[in-house]
Amino acid sequence: MAAPDTSHGAGTAEYPYVIEMRHITKEFPGIIANDDITLQLKRGEIHALLGENGAGKSTLMSVLFGLYKQEKGDILKNGEVVEINDPNDANRLGIGMVHQHFKLVDVFSVLDNIILGVEPNVAGFLTKKKAREKVMHLSETYGLNVDPDALVEDITVGMQQRTEILKMLYRDNEVLIFDEPTAVLTPQEIDELMEIMRGLAKEGKSILFITHKLNEIMAVADRCTVLRKGKYIGTVDIKDTTKEELSSMMVGRDVKFVVDKDEADPKEVVLEVENLCVHSKLHKKDAVHNVSFKVRAGEIVCIAGIDGNGQTEFVHALTGLEPVRDGKILLAGEDVTHKSIRYRNTHGISHIPEDRHKHGLVLDYTLADNMVLQRYFEPRFQTAGFIKFDEVRRYSDELIEKFDVRSGQGSASIARGMSGGNQQKAIVAREMDREHKLLIAVQPARGLDVGAIENIHTQIIKSRDEGSAVLLVSLELDEVMNVSDRILVMYEGEIVGELDPKKTTVQELGLYMAGAKRDGKEEE
Amino acid sequence: MMFTTGTDKSIDRKTGLLKSPAGSALRSIIASVCCILGGMLVGTIILFILAFTTKDIPISDAVKGMTIIFGGPFASGSKSSTLFVLGDMILETTPLLMTGLSVAIAFKTGLFNIGAPGQYLMGAMGSLITALSVPTNGSNNFWVWLLALVVGIACGMIWGAIPGIFKALFNVNEVIVCIMCNWIAANVVSWVFSVSGDRFINYAETKTKFIRPTSTNGVSTPKLGLDKVFPGSNIDIGIFIAIIFAIGIYILINKTTLGYELKACGMNKHSAKYAGMNEKRNIILSMVIAGGLAAAGASLWYLNGKNDFLWNTYSSLPNDGFNGIPVALLASNNPIGVIFSATFLRYIGKGGFNLAGYTHFNEYVSNLIIAMIIYFAGFSKLISDLLGRRRKKKTIEAQSAAVIAENTEGGDDK
Repeated sequence: MAAPDTSHGAGTAEYPYVIEMRHITKEFPGIIANDDITLQLKRGEIHALLGENGAGKSTLMSVLFGLYKQEKGDILKNGEVVEINDPNDANRLGIGMVHQHFKLVDVFSVLDNIILGVEPNVAGFLTKKKAREKVMHLSETYGLNVDPDALVEDITVGMQQRTEILKMLYRDNEVLIFDEPTAVLTPQEIDELMEIMRGLAKEGKSILFITHKLNEIMAVADRCTVLRKGKYIGTVDIKDTTKEELSSMMVGRDVKFVVDKDEADPKEVVLEVENLCVHSKLHKKDAVHNVSFKVRAGEIVCIAGIDGNGQTEFVHALTGLEPVRDGKILLAGEDVTHKSIRYRNTHGISHIPEDRHKHGLVLDYTLADNMVLQRYFEPRFQTAGFIKFDEVRRYSDELIEKFDVRSGQGSASIARGMSGGNQQKAIVAREMDREHKLLIAVQPARGLDVGAIENIHTQIIKSRDEGSAVLLVSLELDEVMNVSDRILVMYEGEIVGELDPKKTTVQELGLYMAGAKRDGKEEE
Repeated sequence: MMFTTGTDKSIDRKTGLLKSPAGSALRSIIASVCCILGGMLVGTIILFILAFTTKDIPISDAVKGMTIIFGGPFASGSKSSTLFVLGDMILETTPLLMTGLSVAIAFKTGLFNIGAPGQYLMGAMGSLITALSVPTNGSNNFWVWLLALVVGIACGMIWGAIPGIFKALFNVNEVIVCIMCNWIAANVVSWVFSVSGDRFINYAETKTKFIRPTSTNGVSTPKLGLDKVFPGSNIDIGIFIAIIFAIGIYILINKTTLGYELKACGMNKHSAKYAGMNEKRNIILSMVIAGGLAAAGASLWYLNGKNDFLWNTYSSLPNDGFNGIPVALLASNNPIGVIFSATFLRYIGKGGFNLAGYTHFNEYVSNLIIAMIIYFAGFSKLISDLLGRRRKKKTIEAQSAAVIAENTEGGDDK
């Protein structure tokens, strides 16, 4: 994969690239984050920037946005070298960015957020009328469809994102950077976003789309630049490439998308849930209402659904983190509805939690200390109340080796300093290695790149094949379809359908998830 | 496969396992020393400014003043005086060390124990009442002393449990409850001694604001010959007991399953709960331990046998309770470090006391300088973090060497 041709002359109006980053090198003490990277963005194209976690995508964008200054290389706007020293420079050059975590003021209206920082005023008094007209006009042109007077805290994540897009358009930006924009969206919202992006490109905006989701690149991008470990790997035309090629460019080896697994061989019932109801903390209704189902040993049952439909509360009730209002939880025939968390942990439940920072790890503990989080009191790891640190270290080293958890200082690393993927791998290692009859995995692949996702899915299937029951809770349709043996769809706290992943389609699943379809009774 | 090369791991082990624990301890020590030096520097500047702006104070006093403060008990130059002051300094270090430990263990478990003054008062009350009530034959009575110590600690534990229970069960911020408990303790103690009348108040020496010293009932902390080493001072073995407590807490925090749980709850109560730990019990427990430690400080101080207790406490709280906070901060909450930071604060305290005697500065200035140094103690965490960041960079260098090695190998097999 040769370096791209950068020998064009500069300065003509027909210069094909609106932004060109030539041979950018950015070093941090001891590490080269960007090593001779070239990125050429054509006018009116959607250009994806693909790479694993830590490949240097964010650094490159920070250089473009003026947050870092490159050591070597030039940035060209319409063929002329420009200096970008801070985000204001970037703004002046028409470069705007939608960050992964939105930068909105929750208690302000959409309009107020859009004009924030460039408030139109006469002698210090706001004059919003013109601004409103401009926002409405933009909103219509690009089909963004937001209510300018709604408070940000009241609107959906998708609408918040559209507010961010409007912010860029309001400032007349012509280069739009989207930093992992789909991570927070539902499948339907993702489709809408794709449509918006296409519309923007058609109107002549140039889009840089940072992601590690290959499907989205294939769906929407024109070209794609791949980075790996700080190096430039290549730029490809999407119409000439495949998902497989992109992923092997990104990871440096071939990645399997369809997880290899044998037919499930369900045996005895491990988990039985009867009419489970859980109170909601947000409203007066139940967060989980009247849920009943069984999970057998040797099968993977997936709870699919859009975020916020009661999955979190349901899992918390199963694992004991939240009390049950009504109903029963039977683990291998034993009623554990009101047992302690410790009891459930030691009687066969392993739990890969949804929020690895909040629940999964004590971030300021070492990796070794985290590896024994539910086991430190076992005779193997303590005598008379004194922890056997040698044994803890030995066990932790063993898990690190077995599950390929990578960190700066092995067992002695502080968990906080590890990459997200490796933190997750550490949790998976810990939960897999504990003796369990039931594995509850909540969004185990969240925020991970394809290589790590493959690894984690393999582990989950291995756990199934070794005879445990697996309950997978996922928002990702690919994951739901690929990994599970049986799908239960959760909508507004209830199970609305049971599907066989081999017989159903993503579209059908989507209908169930959106509440448009349900088993048993028709919509009233 | 390029992902499982052995090189990075061997390098990681070398940098990680050998350097990490010792490195962080060293960092804390360097940070504390930096704070002390910073405080000294600013203190000296203040002395110079005062000397320049005040007519009565010669410039030479500014230099002299600093040497006196840092000379501590040695400032007088005479041997007998030095030994006497040194002995008292060690005696006075004991309660400060204990309240420092109390604050430090609470910090370690994510709680801010600003209730040490109240726990201290309850401990003092428990110990004094026990030591003066149990009938003795008048000569030194070790078992009564021990009982009084235990009762004092128990009183502090109960007092510490209150904010712990409020925090654990009702999620009330411990700082608020602690502050209220301080004043409740001050009034409870005043009330108890005011209604108990002549049984405890020191009428014999007509010091009616004070409780009788425990030596009047033949109860006092053993001295084991220390009074011969430091003639003239009231020193007793309390300091050794305090050091044993410090070592015990160090072991508890760092070596035991209980310490592992307490720290986990302090750092992240959600994951502690997820792991099946009883986070409510642990919050209460660490406040109980903290309360017991603060109370032990008071017990050891008043069971010395010579120290007067001002029972009319409702209008003020004991300083040693609050001073536990800078002691803990200066020690980065390390129980062993608390031994040194408490000693250091007492040391410059003695120096500050001498400042007014040997120079033209008055005692307010010495308090100001000491406050300055304590204030700088608050920066120890900041400096420790800054040092940590520099160390991290070095680790990253080692790591990136490993990554580069991995990359080259990866390039080959591709």
